[in-house]
Amino acid sequence: MANLKDIQRKIKSVKNTQKTTHAMKLVSSAKLKRTEELARRSRVYAGKLTEMIDEIALKIQNLGADASDNIYFKDNNHPKKVDIIFISADKGLCGGFNAQTIKRVNKLMEGFKDDEVKVRLNGVGRKGIDYFRFNNVEMLREVIGLSSAPDYPKAAEFITEIVEAYVNGETDRIIMVHNGYVNMISQEVREDQILPIDVSTEHRNTESRSELEIEPDDDSTLLVALTKRYIEYSMYYALLDSLAAEHAARMQAMDAATTNAKEMVKTLSVQYNKARQEAITTELIEIISGVESMK
Amino acid sequence: MKLMKLEIVTPKGVIYDGEAKQVTLPGSEGEFGVLPEHATLVSLLTTGIVTIEMPDSSKIDVAINSGYVKVDESKVSCIVDGAVALSAGDTDISKKLEEARDLLKSAETSSTAIAAAVSKVEQIGKSF
Repeated sequence: MANLKDIQRKIKSVKNTQKTTHAMKLVSSAKLKRTEELARRSRVYAGKLTEMIDEIALKIQNLGADASDNIYFKDNNHPKKVDIIFISADKGLCGGFNAQTIKRVNKLMEGFKDDEVKVRLNGVGRKGIDYFRFNNVEMLREVIGLSSAPDYPKAAEFITEIVEAYVNGETDRIIMVHNGYVNMISQEVREDQILPIDVSTEHRNTESRSELEIEPDDDSTLLVALTKRYIEYSMYYALLDSLAAEHAARMQAMDAATTNAKEMVKTLSVQYNKARQEAITTELIEIISGVESMK
Repeated sequence: MKLMKLEIVTPKGVIYDGEAKQVTLPGSEGEFGVLPEHATLVSLLTTGIVTIEMPDSSKIDVAINSGYVKVDESKVSCIVDGAVALSAGDTDISKKLEEARDLLKSAETSSTAIAAAVSKVEQIGKSF
């Protein structure tokens, strides 16, 4: 039987933990609100940008062979070297948030390994980087601090380096894996192909009947600028999305932890009361038997 | 009179989403106006003022730094980096004008384009 002091100490410690987890939950929910708002606003912009690039890409495809030479759209079915970008959190205590992303990256890498494709890893966020380092997986680029505070110039700088490698022909494909926000209680791992831009699947509302005119005329100026913007923004948006998901996941994890702590306090209290009662009973018996023996 | 849909979107949110009679845009190759039923067009936008003529013929001016526009028969979508809307009905118009000036001055284009846009803003400011 555990002694009374021990149980009391345990209860106190669990209560403290409960306070911490509860506070973390509140912090996360406040941060989530802010990030979600930010992500919601950028989603409209990102959506429009995608719509525009899809349309242009589709038009280019329809134009025929010479235009499909464009490096951003040329699809390579048998890539030899692939850049994978993953976004994880800088901090833990958010349930399976980081593990989900890591698991997906591992699966992707295995798939490529079977096809004898070389993979280079580009990591954002401490947790994911730590995991791959621990497992002796080589990383090409590592960025810490970007996923907890998304910043457009920094995101652009990071992705531009990777895109440059693609444009120079070092890599044939860029894939990004990150955990995305669905709603308060669920996240979803997203896997997007950044380059080449995938158009064949996405052509939708092309209501326009007339020939597309592009200004300035040398259509590479606009296309290059637009593609650059599109890729940079995809990166930035992924960071925001991931951050919102992280806060949601942490909120959930901390909520669960608080509930568990509450349960634990309850069981411990019962144990404490039982032990106390037992001690009293023993004491009483001792007194009574003492009195009996005196007679 | 035919109307067209107009959207102006920035990373910070939607500036305008509704109908318009006509819109004038600062294209990189020069300013151009768009009426409904315009042929499909994609253009770079440079620092300047987008003028929207509303269905009730009132006007809204939007200062932008840079972006893209896609025009088709029924719709104009502007995707811009930063924008400030200036309309006559605003209560805090002086603050908005200040914001517009700052936005234009921070743009990364030629100084003449910025100067032209800023002077336009001044004019708009006087007209209120």
